[in-house]
Amino acid sequence: MTEQLQTELRAALRERAAQVPAASIARLAHLDYHPRTRRLRPPVAIGALAGAAGTAGAVAVVISLSAGASNAFAGWSPTPTRPGPDQLAAASADCQTQSPISGLPLKLADTRGPFTFSVYADANSSATCIKGPTFTAVSNNTTSAPITVPAGHILLSSSHASNRGGAAYSWADGRTGDGVSAVTLNLDDGDTVQATVANGWFVAWWPGAHDVKSAAITTAAGTTTQTFDLGHQSPCGPMPCAGGEGGRSSSVANGVGGGGPVSASGSSSIIGPATGSASGHSSASGAGSGSSQGGAQSYGISR
Amino acid sequence: MEQRRADFENFVAQNTDALVRTAYLIVWDLPEAEDLVQEALLKVARRWHRVRRMEHPVAYARRILVNLALGGAERRSRRRQELTGEALADRHDQRTESNPVETQDELMRALAALPPRQRTVLVLRYFLDLPEAEVAAAMKCSLGTVKSTASRGLARLEQTMRTTNDTRSIPT
Repeated sequence: MTEQLQTELRAALRERAAQVPAASIARLAHLDYHPRTRRLRPPVAIGALAGAAGTAGAVAVVISLSAGASNAFAGWSPTPTRPGPDQLAAASADCQTQSPISGLPLKLADTRGPFTFSVYADANSSATCIKGPTFTAVSNNTTSAPITVPAGHILLSSSHASNRGGAAYSWADGRTGDGVSAVTLNLDDGDTVQATVANGWFVAWWPGAHDVKSAAITTAAGTTTQTFDLGHQSPCGPMPCAGGEGGRSSSVANGVGGGGPVSASGSSSIIGPATGSASGHSSASGAGSGSSQGGAQSYGISR
Repeated sequence: MEQRRADFENFVAQNTDALVRTAYLIVWDLPEAEDLVQEALLKVARRWHRVRRMEHPVAYARRILVNLALGGAERRSRRRQELTGEALADRHDQRTESNPVETQDELMRALAALPPRQRTVLVLRYFLDLPEAEVAAAMKCSLGTVKSTASRGLARLEQTMRTTNDTRSIPT
């Protein structure tokens, strides 16, 4: 029986594996997995900007991006910028027509150059929308029960995506506990990105696919640096994460926390001017550089 | 630098097919498998300067993939049992007689219901035909664990199949 079973098992596995569409494999094979290597900072530029204090980092990054492999995110800065005239209105008009967002109240909008990253959320659902000069991308998450984050901490959801033009970008968003007034993310390549914080939420995004390693979280008591283990299955860890844990998932996360079972699910899509194809829970449509290639998502709570 | 990138692109071109199909069999869900492969390849890309010097870079990628897959496997398993079990149960209700397709359906259902680690061992052994030592390396466990996990997985499949056959042979 075992030999026969092994034979049948091989056949069953082959049959199941054959269900993977060729388009899925081709899509993954043609993604750019080198969206951004370590940022190049020409010595002349650093020297010239060294005295520019607060703006030095931002300018250096803009230089590095334009000199790097992709200029898809030209104008991005590691600190939020003041929105241009009509920038927020244009983003809102675009984003709110998308079904994941429809009906959700706006929690905050993060602007970096020509890009607007908005977070819409209610107690159990959230959706993000990034609008740039050439594309608009939407993703959403739902949880089965509201999650309460401990004071002075953040619940972080980190995602990666890349566009058809070969440029990857990542973002982190999530809820803030009481008292959190500022969040600065430290990426695993040593760079930092300052988040926008408002209404119990924060968001930040950056070109490339580097992960969040830690965050500097500011409260009235000062600033503490808190680390994340984004692969952790129980992101609430020892923290009293009321309402349950977030889990770690690209599409579905669930777990059982102190407040009972909580599940979360999400999807993402990008909206462009033309029709396109969809694959799995990530859908893509559009033309040129305005097309999502899906992504990966992680959750973690600061420890 | 250009050569390094070309090497990586060549690596991706050669191995994405097997990685996606392997991930699909392990997690039993295509969107999840796609995300896992993308995440695994991003991690490989970040370390490619070291990985490319390894004797078998694909083994490294496979180890990352398996680690990612098993990292979130338990909740996926629960969800899969709810979803796939129902879907296949519906198909089962419609069948009237035994045939090879039916047997494979039962096997599929039994595979979907296996604990993630058992299914992973069986996928690596019987889909990729990896030697037990390579399965152990991919799963970061001992050879003995691979043997015992595979044995338990096969026994569970066998038991499921036997139960199904017994049920099927009961006259109505």
